[in-house]
Amino acid sequence: MGRLSILAAGVGGQGIITLASTLARAAVASGTKALVAETHGLSQRGGSVEVHIRLGDVHAPLIAPGDADVLIGLELIEAARRVSHLRSGGLLLAADTILRPAVPGVRVPSREELVSAMRRAAGDAKVVVVPARELASKVGGLLFSNMVMLGALAGSGILEGFVGVEELERVIGTLRRREENLKAFRLGLDYCSTHCSSGRG
Amino acid sequence: MPSPEVLGPPGAEVLLLGNEAIARGALEAGLGFASAYPGTPSTEIVETLASVAKKLGIYVEWSTNEKVALEAAFAASASGVRALAAMKHVGLNVAADAFMSISYVGVRSGLLIVSAEDPSMWSSQNEQDNRFYGMMAYVPVFEPHSPAEAKEMAATALDFSEKLGTPILMTPTTRVSHTRGPVKLGQLRPRAPKGYFKKDPKRFTLIPAHARERRKAIIERWMRVKEAVNDLPFNRVEGSSRVVIVASGISYAYVREAVDRLGLDVAVAKVGTPVPLPARLVREAIAGAERVLVVEELEPVVEMQLKDLVASEGLDVEVHGKDYVGYEGEMTLDRAARAILEFMGKNPLETPWRAGNTVDLELPERPPAMCPGCPHRATYFALRKAVNSLSLKAVYSGDIGCYSLGVLPPFQEQDLILEMGGSIGAANGLARVAEGQVAIAIIGDSTFYHAGLPALANAVYNGNPLLVLVMDNRVTAMTGEQPNPSTGITAMGEKARWIPIEDVARGLGVEKVVVFDPYNLKEAFNALRDALKYVVDNKKPAVAVARRACSLYIDRIARRRGVETPLYAVVEDKCTACGICYNAFTCPAIMVKSDGKAWIDPDLCTGCGVCAQVCPFNAIVKVREGSPEWEKLWF
Ligand SMILES: Cc1ncc(C[n+]2csc(CCOP(=O)(O)OP(=O)(O)O)c2C)c(N)n1
Repeated sequence: MGRLSILAAGVGGQGIITLASTLARAAVASGTKALVAETHGLSQRGGSVEVHIRLGDVHAPLIAPGDADVLIGLELIEAARRVSHLRSGGLLLAADTILRPAVPGVRVPSREELVSAMRRAAGDAKVVVVPARELASKVGGLLFSNMVMLGALAGSGILEGFVGVEELERVIGTLRRREENLKAFRLGLDYCSTHCSSGRG
Repeated sequence: MPSPEVLGPPGAEVLLLGNEAIARGALEAGLGFASAYPGTPSTEIVETLASVAKKLGIYVEWSTNEKVALEAAFAASASGVRALAAMKHVGLNVAADAFMSISYVGVRSGLLIVSAEDPSMWSSQNEQDNRFYGMMAYVPVFEPHSPAEAKEMAATALDFSEKLGTPILMTPTTRVSHTRGPVKLGQLRPRAPKGYFKKDPKRFTLIPAHARERRKAIIERWMRVKEAVNDLPFNRVEGSSRVVIVASGISYAYVREAVDRLGLDVAVAKVGTPVPLPARLVREAIAGAERVLVVEELEPVVEMQLKDLVASEGLDVEVHGKDYVGYEGEMTLDRAARAILEFMGKNPLETPWRAGNTVDLELPERPPAMCPGCPHRATYFALRKAVNSLSLKAVYSGDIGCYSLGVLPPFQEQDLILEMGGSIGAANGLARVAEGQVAIAIIGDSTFYHAGLPALANAVYNGNPLLVLVMDNRVTAMTGEQPNPSTGITAMGEKARWIPIEDVARGLGVEKVVVFDPYNLKEAFNALRDALKYVVDNKKPAVAVARRACSLYIDRIARRRGVETPLYAVVEDKCTACGICYNAFTCPAIMVKSDGKAWIDPDLCTGCGVCAQVCPFNAIVKVREGSPEWEKLWF
């Protein structure tokens, strides 16, 4: 069946673990082996968080450097921090959100600086910046960005053969606030259906 | 929240977190009693069991520390009920005294001790290898490589334990405990936590005369264990070749994938019981081999035993391990691949896995931070002011909990962080020796009950002048807000007696005890100043209790119940862009606009209102009242 490795990154509290476990549950429901490695780190909220999602013919829970097929960033700084994990020809989906680290006197790069630096480093990987905040606010707030991004991932087509959209929607339907979550997922999916073409080539 | 799939039907394949899988495995093997002190990455084992305890009729508790948890679980086993005690790796240090003795007396019903290891120290102060504890105590060690195997191991361990009369130490690592993977469910067989303690003083009372007999007994037991581990399904050999890779625990997952993807001609000996080494099986695996590489995390536990085997049997085979694999940090795919390639005389750079370009832009670090509304932040803010107002030189003897984050700027009010309870212990020495400095021990409520009490008794008994500041947020926050004696509920959600910290302090003979609400900065400042002054003037210990529940805990309940919280906002015209709220107070809900003025993200604000007291220009105001229920959520 091959394998698909997805690195999801963001800030504690953004719902990355929900994103990852939803995807993995849907994978298992689609008959695909899934491993999701979480790193809780020191604080519940506010720290940098990454989750490794591996689908298909896999044993190792962690993705090796340069072996990620997809990098999903729920926040731009955190996405930029991990571009080197992406394989050449991979897909980078980054939410258009910047969260300031709670550090005295910190200098936060601008959106433009981050996006162009990411594009430069990503080489031949495809980079798509998803207006996740804007889409999520249509359904009820920043809270739903994680489902927008999961939708974007599904919309990119890269999950084909691993996880079905129907299975994804079924699992999302079991979450609390299912209507909002499903709507957010579909907004992301529609966005990416027009703005991302599969990074697999 | 544990996944509902933990109680799924037999035969189903579901996605479980490694720790949930361990809980399920124990339930499939007739568990009746479980106890633990929380600690990453072990916490979800007992959290899961607690969430289903009432339904299944088993007993589950959060104990006050790991030693108590282990002693209680042991007693359940000795009384005929299968039991589990869980902790993080350093928790076994706390429980080590009990662990040694329990090995000596042995078990009756199955006893599984889970010590979750943390290579790379994702949330720990060290990366000790507890497999050595197994060696030291003659306790077999089970080391799973996946959630699926963790479930099988937990179940098998309870049977094996009972059959051989030995406790079992299971050592999942972060990458097993905190990995979700597919798990095939078996039949649930929970049992009621009711047994009977049959007396047998020759065995259970370790006076020297009895202990000498038990020492003989456990060495005999070890001989039987050494033979029996060879037949466990967790130890096996895959393929045959003149080159053998021996992989223990999670390292097997990386080795298997690396060998498959690189298409290497090697045999893989998978070891699931690193202590004792399944010698018969490994000996067969290396019989025709010329060279063997042991791939394992942390210390050379398997490697040493294998070298011993090779030397004592005079085998003609070269054994390597740490010389190629290294000691530090967790295993990764590329680390395993590089070690194997180099060992095989190939170019280690031949792996297909190489990091790509990094961005050519300086990215700000994002260290973990105290949450919006965290009462610890307010306490640190007030403490700094109180210390300065008395022109004191303070040594902040810190401890382990969310408040450890006070080590970072802007607060930097943690000068020492050792181990749980160490704050008060070390402050005893500082109070006696550090001249011209005042010792301030900073400890959380859970940590206070875990290991703080003996050290506070010491301060009173020896008259050591120190301030103990207990940051009482009413839960064990860092590990996910478990209840403790300061909460007033049990692991199974029953109402319990709340033990107020000030009562304990007074009971131990502390003469100066102050209690304050950190959300009121003035009150906090006055109380801390008062207590500090008392320590300096009277040369006696004092205790200050900062009482305000964990904001994340309350915020979660509020969101779940749809309770509206108050909301604060910045008045544009009054904000002078001074930066005190975001640079000196650093609430993560406060953002900076391009003109340097502050902006409060309404999605993140918890309504604590402390920033409004911090702002010297009264530029932060309440723009929404919380609903009346919100006030009632705080306890
Ligand atoms: C011996 C040991 N057991 C468990 C842990 C895991 N652990 C880290 S902090 C902490 C408790 C924190 O609770 P508390 O003292 O109430 O502080 P809070 O996080 O609530 O601020 C625990 C259990 C540990 N580090 N060492």
